[in-house]
Amino acid sequence: MRRSRLIRQLMATALPITLVMGSGSGTATADPLLGRTMSTYGLPGGIDTPTAETLPDGTLGATLSWSDYARRGNIFFQALPGLTGVLRYARVEGINDFRNEGFISDRSLDLRYQVLGEDGWRPAVAIGVQDFLGTGVYSGEYIVATRSVTPSVRVSAGLGWGVLAGKPRVIDINDNGGTANVDQLFSGGVKPFGSVSWQVNDKLNLVAEYSQDRYLARYSNGREFQQGEEPGSKLNLAANYQIGRNYSAGIYAIGGETIGAQVTVALNPREAAYPSGLEKAPAPVRPRPSPAADPEGWSGAWSQDPTAQPAIQKALGDAMAKEGQRLEAMALSANRAEVRLRNLRYINQAEAIGRTARLMTRALPPSVETFVITSTTDGMPTSSVTLRRSDVERLENTDAARIAAAASLADAAPGAPGLVATDGIYPRFRWSVRPYLDLGIFSAEDGLTHEVGAEARASYEIMPGLVATGALRQRAFGDIGQRGPAIGLPGTRGEYYTPEEYEADPSLETTPEGVPRVRSDTRMYTGNSSPVIPEATLAWYAKPSSTVYTRITVGLLERSFGGVSAEALWKPANSQLAFGAEVNRVRKRDFDQLFDFRDYEVTTGHVSAYYEFTEGFTAQLDLGKYLAGDVGATVTLAREFANGWQVGAYATKTDLSADEFGEGSFDKGITLSIPIGWATGQPSRDRVSTNLRSLSRDGGARLNVNGRLYDRVRDSHTVDLYEGWGRFWR
Amino acid sequence: MNGMVKITLAASLLAALSACGNSSADEGGAGPLAILAQTATQAVAARRAPEAPAAPARSPQDAVAEALRVNQGPLIQAGFENLGRSQIMAMTGQNGAMRTYMTPSEEALILRNGLLVGTRGLGNDLSVAEPQLESAIRAGASGSGSRVMRYYSGDGLERPLQFDCRTAPGPNAGVLVESCEGHGISFQNNYMVQGGGIPVSRQWIGPALGYVTIQTLRP
Repeated sequence: MRRSRLIRQLMATALPITLVMGSGSGTATADPLLGRTMSTYGLPGGIDTPTAETLPDGTLGATLSWSDYARRGNIFFQALPGLTGVLRYARVEGINDFRNEGFISDRSLDLRYQVLGEDGWRPAVAIGVQDFLGTGVYSGEYIVATRSVTPSVRVSAGLGWGVLAGKPRVIDINDNGGTANVDQLFSGGVKPFGSVSWQVNDKLNLVAEYSQDRYLARYSNGREFQQGEEPGSKLNLAANYQIGRNYSAGIYAIGGETIGAQVTVALNPREAAYPSGLEKAPAPVRPRPSPAADPEGWSGAWSQDPTAQPAIQKALGDAMAKEGQRLEAMALSANRAEVRLRNLRYINQAEAIGRTARLMTRALPPSVETFVITSTTDGMPTSSVTLRRSDVERLENTDAARIAAAASLADAAPGAPGLVATDGIYPRFRWSVRPYLDLGIFSAEDGLTHEVGAEARASYEIMPGLVATGALRQRAFGDIGQRGPAIGLPGTRGEYYTPEEYEADPSLETTPEGVPRVRSDTRMYTGNSSPVIPEATLAWYAKPSSTVYTRITVGLLERSFGGVSAEALWKPANSQLAFGAEVNRVRKRDFDQLFDFRDYEVTTGHVSAYYEFTEGFTAQLDLGKYLAGDVGATVTLAREFANGWQVGAYATKTDLSADEFGEGSFDKGITLSIPIGWATGQPSRDRVSTNLRSLSRDGGARLNVNGRLYDRVRDSHTVDLYEGWGRFWR
Repeated sequence: MNGMVKITLAASLLAALSACGNSSADEGGAGPLAILAQTATQAVAARRAPEAPAAPARSPQDAVAEALRVNQGPLIQAGFENLGRSQIMAMTGQNGAMRTYMTPSEEALILRNGLLVGTRGLGNDLSVAEPQLESAIRAGASGSGSRVMRYYSGDGLERPLQFDCRTAPGPNAGVLVESCEGHGISFQNNYMVQGGGIPVSRQWIGPALGYVTIQTLRP
């Protein structure tokens, strides 16, 4: 029974205690030793030094710290039970580069792996690399052990290299960064560091540490900079205060002279404010009367009455609409009913299916024994779950695994015999007008930038699968102004073309290295004081066979490009593997973002392979030609939770050299997507999503077309569906 | 890796207090802040109008009398201790011995012949309770066995907690006490058993919701 094993894995409910009870009381033999305070580098630790602690698996958060040495914004993620990653944006004080501003802005990435948990006398042990892409100001490595001495006191001791040994690496001023500095890892001399942390009470924690960091930056042209004041001693002290479950704040002193402060917010995807959601209770099952009480209903004779199906379809459609679902079509015979639903409300498709199954017991005559519930998206049927009505009646409000075992999942055929579309659903016109806010954060040059305005958006579903969408934006105010790209010639770092210069000389639309500007002039599209059209498309979704989905989108596809985009996806409902192909013929839009185009035109496209693992991980590989005509591959790995949280990382390498690409050497980034319902408890499919990446590079850039198939289709497919199956009876 | 790199966090959010359109909240596009604003509005409204439908200064007895008059079906009164509210709930469905009772705002208690099976719509719902001692409880007999409580966890799964339980007659005549322990916590369910039915009880829902007292107003 391969299938039932898969279902079991997907609905796996290991680690039940802490998650429901909300506090750590595990009985595991090796304690993962969860961190109590964050370091100024955004990892569990002392102040500047690391410890061997980790965070609860899946924790996502940020630590902001301020001192005369630096302002650091750290985004941390516990990617695996032992693996912690941090992406850091720092304003490092005291260093003068070409801007001569007395500080530099620096991005860096750390990884730490807890090799051993704490077990009896044995301490937890972790190994870490700090700022390991390129040679950076914070470059260093460590091995550290942490042990609880008493329930409230923990001691850490470690060996450090690089800045952790007080021996900062020499920074190559010609390096583009972005690639691992493997040959320098664990080199250049080693020194010890250590810390003691005392949890005074539930809220207050005190830390003392011994740190070797001298806050020195050395460059390959011989220049040296002292960040802030040289620490007068190697002893640092801190006090941290926990505020509620998610926040903490602290103050610290480095070397006895420099004072700093920090705040941390940490979110655990497993800890929702309302774990079960606040959506209303589902309508319960209505069991069938006995055959003696309703002989006509049981006989199936009603199915000969032509008025029966329209009346039933109307009643069922209305009831489903109350529970956030659209009944798109229904096929009804004496003993079988197929409904095609579009779930508009719930993150987990299983919840939509479970509610629909219950509503069917209330609406359908007793002779109907087979329920086929087909999920649809954009007019495409994506999968069919078949249930026996007697199982729905028998298993209502039991362990969700039992109804999972009694249900079967199959590919949905494009059409079905006897399928009748529900009246009055198409065409469907929707519109909205609302304010928008665009934020530019982490910009080295500009700091925090913003733009506020109004956006009108309309969509017209002409028939199932055919959708016209348009948006119109009017900026009101903001400081994201129009600007040309960086000049990028020797001796001009930090200087930009003016919009007029840039528009006057078409040759500037290619970089000095010969790469067409597809993203590095993105600021030319901003700052328009007249209305702009971010998107105006006509999209057609279709399902030519039971496992193949297609999309064709024409129009103004995104802010910078318009044209045609065509995509096909092969994804059987019971397969963890999918393949896709996409081809786009696009032309660069004019900077006024209306209907004019510029000269640059390109054919870009990819073939893609997708795989969903059973432990909440997904992988995607794209091979193809990117917007600037460069050829290469993108690898994406993501962690997903049944509640809809997604955290991913991707990297793109194309045939552009590191010099042609520019700073960062190749494109990479982090994607975050958090369902709104997780935070509010209100049922919703809406999400807050963001992509942390370098926007200003032309290599490895993909078209931002809306409506890509994979994420639309797989909600109702094996892995996603069964992961969320626990909500079938919710 | 010096600065130079322009990182934009395109978190195009905001929305809503002044938004308009014909999209329903379900149909997406409402935007995160729209929903947050809506939630906040609801929370404020809920605070401003405590028990508004229950009419001002009406005594609990009046409320019960009114409910019995208006609703002809089975009714219970449920007191949620941690939520600090007591509500009259009407039966909305019956499947065998299992009954679903709901408040007017469609929060549900699911009972099997008086024994708590689950809750819905309360935010920290119990998905399903599987008490091994069900027959001992109904018989008013002493016994020991396990009890599995399944919860909707924040990460979207249904997670079981298993407890070890004993039943024994309580200090008050006619009251059976089920004492359960596990995972560092313990709880006691009290049942007044009459002819296999449980007209009055105090039962533990879970760590967040605590106890509910259930009184049958009309069987």
